[in-house]
Amino acid sequence: MGKSSKDKRDLYYRKAKEEGFRARSAYKLLQLNEEFHFLDDEHNLTKVVDLCAAPGSWSQVLSRKMFAEARDVAPEDKKLVAVDLQPMSPIDNVTTLQADITHPKTLARILDIFGNEKADFVCSDGAPDVTGLHDLDEYVQQQLIMSALQLTTCVLKPRGTFVAKIFRGRDIDMLYSQLGYLFDRVVCAKPRSSRGTSLEAFIVCLGYNPPADWEPHLDVNRSIEEFFSGCAMSRLQIADDAERLPAWTDGQRSIAEFMSCGGLQSFDSDATY
Amino acid sequence: MSGELKDIAHYGPALCVKFSETYPQYTFVAMGPFMQVYNYKTGELINRARVFSANKVHGFNFSKDGAMCVLYGSKSIAFCKTQDLLTREDFSKDEKMFAEWITDAAFSFTGEQVYILTCYNLVVVTDLEGNIQARRNLKNERSILYSGSIKVLSEERVLINAGTVFGGVLIWDLLKQEKIHNLTGHEGSIFYVVVSNNGKYVASCSDDRSIRLWDMESGKQLSIGWGHTARIWNLKFFNNDSQLISVSEDCTCRIWDVVAESGATSLVMKNIYETHLIKNVWGVDVNETEALAVTSGNDGRVKLIDLKQTSRVGDEVRSFNITNLPSNSPLSIEKGEIFKGFYWFNFGLVAITSLGNILKFTEATGTWEILMRDERLVSYSLTHGISTASGNVALFANNKCDLLLLNFSKDGQTIKSKNSLHLDNLSKSCNTMITAYQDEYCLVTVESPNPRDKFAVLQLNVDTLEIVHEFNFAKPDNFVSSCLAVYQQYLIVGGRFGAVAIFDMRNTDADAYVMRQLCPGDTTTSIEYIEERGADILLSVTNRDGFYNFTKVNLDKLASREGIAHEIIHSNKVMKGFLEGAFYNESGEYITYGFKSSLFYMYNEKNCYEIASEVCGGAHRQWKLCDLGDGQGYMLVYIKAAELYMRKIYTAAFPETLESGLHGREIRDISIMPERLPWQYSPENGYLFVTGSEDTTVRLGKYSPETGAVVNYWMERRHVSGLQRLRFISDSLVVSCSAREELFLWTVNTEFQSNPYMHIRQTLPTQSTHPDLRIMDFDVLFNAAGTGDFALATVYSDSSIKVWWYSNASNGFIELWSNRYQTCCILNTSFVVLQGRIFLLIAATDGYLSLYDISREVDILHATEDTRTVRFVNEAFGAIASTSGPAFTLRVHKSGIKTMDVARTKAGAATVRVVTGGDDNAISLTQFNCSASGELSGTVCSMVSDAASSTVTSTQLLPGATQVLSTSVDQRVRLWDITPDNQLSLRASKYTTNADTGCCDIVQTENSHHSLLIAGVGLSVWKC
Ligand SMILES: C[S@@+](CC[C@H](N)C(=O)[O-])C[C@H]1O[C@@H](n2cnc3c(N)ncnc32)[C@H](O)[C@@H]1O
Repeated sequence: MGKSSKDKRDLYYRKAKEEGFRARSAYKLLQLNEEFHFLDDEHNLTKVVDLCAAPGSWSQVLSRKMFAEARDVAPEDKKLVAVDLQPMSPIDNVTTLQADITHPKTLARILDIFGNEKADFVCSDGAPDVTGLHDLDEYVQQQLIMSALQLTTCVLKPRGTFVAKIFRGRDIDMLYSQLGYLFDRVVCAKPRSSRGTSLEAFIVCLGYNPPADWEPHLDVNRSIEEFFSGCAMSRLQIADDAERLPAWTDGQRSIAEFMSCGGLQSFDSDATY
Repeated sequence: MSGELKDIAHYGPALCVKFSETYPQYTFVAMGPFMQVYNYKTGELINRARVFSANKVHGFNFSKDGAMCVLYGSKSIAFCKTQDLLTREDFSKDEKMFAEWITDAAFSFTGEQVYILTCYNLVVVTDLEGNIQARRNLKNERSILYSGSIKVLSEERVLINAGTVFGGVLIWDLLKQEKIHNLTGHEGSIFYVVVSNNGKYVASCSDDRSIRLWDMESGKQLSIGWGHTARIWNLKFFNNDSQLISVSEDCTCRIWDVVAESGATSLVMKNIYETHLIKNVWGVDVNETEALAVTSGNDGRVKLIDLKQTSRVGDEVRSFNITNLPSNSPLSIEKGEIFKGFYWFNFGLVAITSLGNILKFTEATGTWEILMRDERLVSYSLTHGISTASGNVALFANNKCDLLLLNFSKDGQTIKSKNSLHLDNLSKSCNTMITAYQDEYCLVTVESPNPRDKFAVLQLNVDTLEIVHEFNFAKPDNFVSSCLAVYQQYLIVGGRFGAVAIFDMRNTDADAYVMRQLCPGDTTTSIEYIEERGADILLSVTNRDGFYNFTKVNLDKLASREGIAHEIIHSNKVMKGFLEGAFYNESGEYITYGFKSSLFYMYNEKNCYEIASEVCGGAHRQWKLCDLGDGQGYMLVYIKAAELYMRKIYTAAFPETLESGLHGREIRDISIMPERLPWQYSPENGYLFVTGSEDTTVRLGKYSPETGAVVNYWMERRHVSGLQRLRFISDSLVVSCSAREELFLWTVNTEFQSNPYMHIRQTLPTQSTHPDLRIMDFDVLFNAAGTGDFALATVYSDSSIKVWWYSNASNGFIELWSNRYQTCCILNTSFVVLQGRIFLLIAATDGYLSLYDISREVDILHATEDTRTVRFVNEAFGAIASTSGPAFTLRVHKSGIKTMDVARTKAGAATVRVVTGGDDNAISLTQFNCSASGELSGTVCSMVSDAASSTVTSTQLLPGATQVLSTSVDQRVRLWDITPDNQLSLRASKYTTNADTGCCDIVQTENSHHSLLIAGVGLSVWKC
């Protein structure tokens, strides 16, 4: 039995249809918010970037929270940008951009749209096409997150929030360890609407707080590793001055706090109804 | 107490394979973090060297002179002497590290430098010590690559061929750091790009299932190769760049000709080989001298492909048109005359035409002759044959009870004897068959379509073809014969509707012993006698609809005609297509053959690969498969489009595989048979084990805890969805469960010498029509009376819980009790006996452990002194649909409880210890208490919330229950001590290369060590 036929029978899938969301993923963001409330203060939700956004259900949630349900802040002062490789049909109040987030030029384009303004919230629900080579898939996924993070460091305001989809595979603890350098609190959260059988989870990074002596600087000819060099989180630099390949050492690892989101009353996506 | 975790053997994805010109006798295989070297002529593993500490070897390349090797994978890289790969055990001290994913690494033309290409299209140039000498890249082109290769054409010309996520192929000059081409045309990610050895062509493959050939000079697309039905992973030019080999997710390997004709160059698909299971063939290489290809895949298989399978000897395929047969003197073949039947003997072919002409083809001369004509055999005829020590007999029959038998000399030159017969006692004949009997006889059966006619059997002397004896049996009701075997005085006849009848030639008055519906399909296509053991004989039976089984027949019961004399001990179905027969070959491997779509196939069922196939047009045709004798192979004769084809399927010139592999997808559960096998199944004794996989199959195999050697026996294809759990519940019973409410009770039989066997004894009744209703886990308590009955608890994805009673005598499940937990999916269950009461413990996705008091409601089940048994008071009992909630619940994990193991308690114990592992990365030790008055309480004694950095997938108590072994998706296996004050304390942790690590099983070996099997995407044998 194919995975897709399972999806169709999923309760969240039906609920999304009813509530006008383009994908069941909307509930993952909503359930994360139930726990962390990062979308509940409209004063702290005026500038938002939604990466890897197609077909757009997170953008829908964000648009509802920022515009439809907000009353204090004027709509002209808000900005919601959604980026994906795939084209996206328009959503109210969302600026869409079709681009590859791992391409350094894309980050420059997004930064252009934001001008000098800082974002309150950056999220990325990106997932690459899986090849079946677990380590490569995990690496590409982490590169997506690192690209998102690279943008985040250039655009997120201090104390802002970053949320990204992760696959909890063998090197996820290295990622946790790196994020710890940039945020006050890093939590690995699993919404009830995300299947227990999948490795999917979300890192919720609260309180953006980069090292004081580190200035992010985007240069399209530098790699992500190089970008982060200097903020103590680069695993390894073969920087321009390195002369020799170092011997192999296992990287720094740490385990993030785990949290299940969505409350026990919400549907269990592993259950058969 | 066990302290250290030690690895012994590993089977899993093999990402790269290569031959070496410098070491022409070897095949080099990257498997996990190891490099394994095989002698491909013998299949022998020469050396296994650990290359990296944790990362997998994704690829390797030799220097031009073959003396050096560079190996890379993930962010690791190592250089070594190729010679050392043949002898050294561990290179991991030389492992060097990189900042980014390495896509390819190759030696420079002189071999003094190494180029390392990263997934960001950067090349780092180092010397052989790892000193960095240069960094090269293309400005402004740094988005992530899915693939890339380095082509060193000369000292001055080094090409970097990069495949991007967007379907672009970027070719650039490394030394000039200049872009040469950006080739566009593919849709979707590029998975491989390669430049031909002469530098003239570029070939690329992609997500879009096409291979594209480009001209290096102009950058023009020359041709698109369509054919693969899924993503294509790898390519290689060979044969002076005139051919290309490709491997794909469709499990095939294909050969393409690069045809340059009248100004146009095109890719023409030449051959397809089925090579791997389910998905993902990663590596491919060609040994041109031997015309041998090798592929490697996710299933852990390393497959050799004879590129000259149909031309190595030179006489593999021959075809003839009846109007134009080569002969020494003219043959009088009439217009419209066609071949009606044939049989292959070792001297050649004997055939009959629609006009009753009997022809002989002599292999030695390659010529045909007409031997005779038999008027009786005009238009309708059947042909069969046998070869025995006393002669080669061809049998022809019509539907009017006429037979013609011819006995040919060994060389086919003379007809030694001949017998033209007519059977008077039958009104008509519809089927005639022949089999060898004892040393000097044969038996010919003649069946009439009239049910009142006897089933006639003639015993003839092979040499003289004289009838020695005639048997006439009453035909069983509704019986139509289709195949034949003989054992001693028993004639075993297969028929339609899955029936097999056994006739006793010493007692022709007795009715046949009929086994009906032995297979679920219709026509029985073959019966083979396998072996005898005591009063039992073992038969292999195949059915055209794809099912086969092994049936044990007790000769004493057969003779005394009391009760049921037969028992199916093995059943299975083939992957796809029609099954025409099966047999054990000389190596004891079970070979099946038949048709699928337009092909005839022969398949090795033991190790699950195709031996040969022939495009014959499909099942509906005249055909015969005959033995070439002397272990040479088989002869397939068939008619296609009025031509007669003879295809010799020679025994392979090389081993078929260097590693046979396990499952095509993740192993979801694994279980070792508790008792070591006492003697069977050489070469090494060991333990039987079963694995259940996401690929829906269950495999039965054997492994040696000492050497780690794994032997496959069977791949059972009876589940229709991916496995959830499976376990040996005793030394001969296995239970497996999956979605669609499937739960099978299997018997594992180790009585026979030929193989262990397994058969579904019973399936649990289903109650829902919901296809996604999964049985998540089960537990059993055996009847203390030793009847083989047991109580079975099952838990489901819709929160239901059931308890059943299995009766061995009636072979049936009855439902005793059912309940529903909440609305969430239940993941684990176990029976627990406390204070003489039976409880059912469940663990669910909400993180809770709950105890249900079964004793209170099911008063026919009683606890015993032994905690793994139960007493069943067998009274008429109606199933209880209970609505009472759990007697006790306790929240232990923040999220789903993925795994649970319960310590066995002493009889009448008041406490029980439970270890659980969760999606929340935690492992906990929980203790439940039951007071004498039945009051329950529970506490989490120890909770390690950061026990792993990802989901904990299994926690198993070691025998003695003072240590716990855990596996997790973070690919670390951890050993925990349980301290006297019930705390979990980490003793050892070790990385496993099995991705998606999901399960393990432990067995205590003789020397009080523990042997572990750890599985996920791959299987490792460890000890502790
Ligand atoms: C799971 S979907 C996102 C669903 C979305 N959050 C929603 O709620 O509708 C993942 C998306 O990641 C996108 N993606 C993957 N790699 C990307 C990349 N390198 N740049 C931009 N988008 C990417 C895919 O195109 C895909 O649409």
